[in-house]
Amino acid sequence: MKSVLTGFAAAIAALLLLAAAGALFGHAPREIFAILLRGAFGSRFAIEGSILKTVPLLLTGLSVAIAFRAGVWNIGAEGQFIVGALAAFLAAPFGVVASLVAAVLAGAAWASIATLLRLWRGAPEVLTTILLNFTALHLLGWCVNGPLRERAAQYPQTDRVAASLSSIGSLHSGVLLALVAAFALWFYVERTAGGLKLRATGLNPSAAEWAGVNVRATIARSMALSGALAGLAGGIELLGVTGRLFERFAVGYGYSGIAVALLAQLNPLATILSALFFGALAGGAGELQRSMNVSAAVATLAQATAVLVLLLFTALDRRRRWSS
Amino acid sequence: MLRLSHVSRSFGATHAVDDVSLEVRSGEVLALVGENGAGKSTLMAIAAGELEPDAGTIERYGHVALVHQHFMLVPALTIAENLALADFTPRRLFTRRSLESQARSILASTGFDLGDVSRRVEELSVGEKSKLELIKAVARRPAVLILDEPTAVLTPHESEELFRVIRRLAAAGTAIVFISHKLPEVLAIAQRIVVMRAGKVVLETADATADTIAAAMVELPPARPDQQQRVLDGAPLTLAFDDLRVRRSEIVAIVGVAGNGQTELARRLRDALPAAGHIPEDRTRDGVVSAMTLAENLALRARRWKRRDALRHAATMMSLYAIRASGPEQHAGSLSGGNQQKLLLARELDRRPELIVAAEPTRGLDLASTHFVHEQLRTAARAGGAVLLITSDLDEAFALADTIHVIYRGRLSAPMSREEARARVADLMAGVA
Amino acid sequence: MVELIVSVAPLALAASTPLLLAVLGELVLQRSGVINLGIEGMMLVAALTAVVTAHHTNSAAIGFAGGIAGAAAVALLFGVFAIALRADQIVTGTAINLLALGATGFAYRELLRRSTELQSLPKAGALPMQLLAWLAIPALVAVALWNTPFGLRVRACGESPAAVGATRASVAWHRAGALALETVLGGLAGAYLALVLSSGFAENMTAGRGFIALSIVIFGRWKVKGALLGTAIFGFAAASQYALQASNSGVPYHLLLALPYVVTLLVLAGVAGRVKAPESLGRQDL
Repeated sequence: MKSVLTGFAAAIAALLLLAAAGALFGHAPREIFAILLRGAFGSRFAIEGSILKTVPLLLTGLSVAIAFRAGVWNIGAEGQFIVGALAAFLAAPFGVVASLVAAVLAGAAWASIATLLRLWRGAPEVLTTILLNFTALHLLGWCVNGPLRERAAQYPQTDRVAASLSSIGSLHSGVLLALVAAFALWFYVERTAGGLKLRATGLNPSAAEWAGVNVRATIARSMALSGALAGLAGGIELLGVTGRLFERFAVGYGYSGIAVALLAQLNPLATILSALFFGALAGGAGELQRSMNVSAAVATLAQATAVLVLLLFTALDRRRRWSS
Repeated sequence: MLRLSHVSRSFGATHAVDDVSLEVRSGEVLALVGENGAGKSTLMAIAAGELEPDAGTIERYGHVALVHQHFMLVPALTIAENLALADFTPRRLFTRRSLESQARSILASTGFDLGDVSRRVEELSVGEKSKLELIKAVARRPAVLILDEPTAVLTPHESEELFRVIRRLAAAGTAIVFISHKLPEVLAIAQRIVVMRAGKVVLETADATADTIAAAMVELPPARPDQQQRVLDGAPLTLAFDDLRVRRSEIVAIVGVAGNGQTELARRLRDALPAAGHIPEDRTRDGVVSAMTLAENLALRARRWKRRDALRHAATMMSLYAIRASGPEQHAGSLSGGNQQKLLLARELDRRPELIVAAEPTRGLDLASTHFVHEQLRTAARAGGAVLLITSDLDEAFALADTIHVIYRGRLSAPMSREEARARVADLMAGVA
Repeated sequence: MVELIVSVAPLALAASTPLLLAVLGELVLQRSGVINLGIEGMMLVAALTAVVTAHHTNSAAIGFAGGIAGAAAVALLFGVFAIALRADQIVTGTAINLLALGATGFAYRELLRRSTELQSLPKAGALPMQLLAWLAIPALVAVALWNTPFGLRVRACGESPAAVGATRASVAWHRAGALALETVLGGLAGAYLALVLSSGFAENMTAGRGFIALSIVIFGRWKVKGALLGTAIFGFAAASQYALQASNSGVPYHLLLALPYVVTLLVLAGVAGRVKAPESLGRQDL
């Protein structure tokens, strides 16, 4: 119960800071909130937009949550997202299912590069996953400017992808996929022996090892699963929303996933709510940019604030427990 | 000298020190005795000024130096740097050479020898580290020197050397407080003995025997008939690992001063024998997952995880192994040390493994828990299991084991019977063949 | 080949100067046992505040001071969380990076709206800062860490904070001191990036330099000589990238952009397992 309240408090604090930042530069808070709400839920179009933004955030949030739960610092969801989308694009001629499977496998493989470097060479994944992000970014840049460039060769983007997700209005079936993933992950983590061992590995890897858990295998599996989820997010975004690849395809979904996961305190079910919050916020921030020319980067600002507030509560709570 | 009057200190609901009055005079060697958790270390931390008492007064005539039980050294830094860090921090810029020459002069002034002071502390032997801690304290010419379990990691020969140093310092006028739970040492070195139990002083005497002291320390367990040396040559081998042999129903103990390779051995056994039961020597770091519940901890070895079954199983284990907790959903981190150890035992023994490797299974436990653990190990052996006990507690080894090895610098001695071990263990632990 | 190296050297040195400053700053902090992933965000904020300050005062020197001020704001936040509250350092650093990204993006757009001349800035000479960064500052850092009592205690904090605590010195204050040093160097790095290497601010202009700096700290085994060597090698690699670009070698532009990160990955793979970090690096309980 307390953790739910903490999450809400952090979300509210984020909104307050957003208003304060706006006020600092001369925009009335009331106006800001009004536009945010309009952008997030003000029309059917807005609501659909918020949900569509929620989907990749939910999946990258799950991706980060499962990794952090296992004690692995996967900061590479951004790169895994991109690589997943690339693979989905290449496999699209073979159908939607093949395309999404390719996205999942590619994301898992990209994450596993970092796993390999850690388990084999001791390289800290907190750094290698970030470096892989930049690598993936430029790989995408090369693809859309070079070998995968559209036939018309006008813009740095690909042609339309050969497959697409079935949808109702603009809501694609990825919404269902993401929700299923959230529930499946919750079940895995809380109700299976594998999930128990994963949680133990994250909480105390050396005790887990002494209890017979294969910690190296658990780390590898968690990273692969994490990458798979982020890759899936990329594939779904390509097939369901953008329809083609271009340079700024990822727009920070991977990094935002970290905020989503932390606000949800790494709980897969809470991630749904957390992703919805940030998705709506992104929708609202877009409207803010359109009507008030306020940079949509405020959404990132709000994410960071939510995380820091949560961190504050966690740290204070820990202090209280230690001193008693 | 030092005088404590009506000192009390609590941690939450626990009265660690309860209205204690104590006095140590110049040139005197006082022994402070009691079992784990009696309040000795807390009292001395207060005496040295590291901890504030809740009530009472402390009168100090001169500097009080406390040598901790656990090393407060920085392993990655050199001897010279550690000394500089402690109390001899130079006031301005220095070079490595100036630091080392300062270290050498400190050593000279205290009369100790530690060899090359440019060595990093992590390269030193356990005995040398202990000596360095002592030097740090003595170099400030304290009026009162408090030693907290100084022989815990020393070989019998190194302990003798320490006693000589203590006598020398006392003769020169230093007041010395010697905290220990080892009665023979205490009787050998101390002029006056103070016994603590549950935070209070229960006995203070200048002439005492081991019996009176032990009686004051604790409720003694019932006397056991003399143990027969069991003959197990015909029993089938359960473990053959390097030179180690353990048979069914046999308890083999590996004794040695901490830091001679026991940790590495336990880890190698763990990696080589996943089917065996392993009890790690550090139960808080390597044993229980503090943030998980009892039920979850117990289920870590299982293949399946069904919450309801796991809870029921945990309740059964709690009663079988006398684990005191509010329920199977309590977090393992809030259990006492003794209950955590029982939790580990339950987790490992319940699978009825053929072999059990138990490293320091009663470290830091009170007497009741210690007895419980010993009984569990004996029961496991009687039921046909093979038990390998790695311990630095000689009493424990001699109480439980049929066969004893000594480990020194990573190498095992030949197996010995209890009698043979009694004669040779001191020498073997010191590396004297 | 030799001509290539010689011709590329000045560019390599100039381009990697901010990197070196970041490496040295992070080195000092990590020696005290704290890891700051947020150095990336710190440099980014410093870049913006340097630009704003230089523009308003029309002085590059004061611009550098402005950069340090910006870095200090970030450091204050990081210090409160990571040192005072002992929150998780990785999460704190990541949140700070997000915060910096959002805050600079937002603020820059707002500032541009008011005065588009933010682009016109006083010219800053590169040489003084380069000499400082490659000669004076490394020497100062080395002496500070290995020849002063403060440095001795800082290093002890990074290895065994418990032992330092036993000497009644404050671990938290020593770490804060190390953070202060990193703040100055990080502020200079961000300011240099914006005022010397570029001609103003651009969103996300640090482009991962902070993370490369973190990797070089590891490569250099947390020593000053290693930091100099690692940054120099990296600088050459990066400069060769520009040379290759310019020489129409046929290697695609975008893949060349990825080169620094791939190289850093390889470096980490080669070195990371064999080096020993300060013992208490990143730990919350000590």
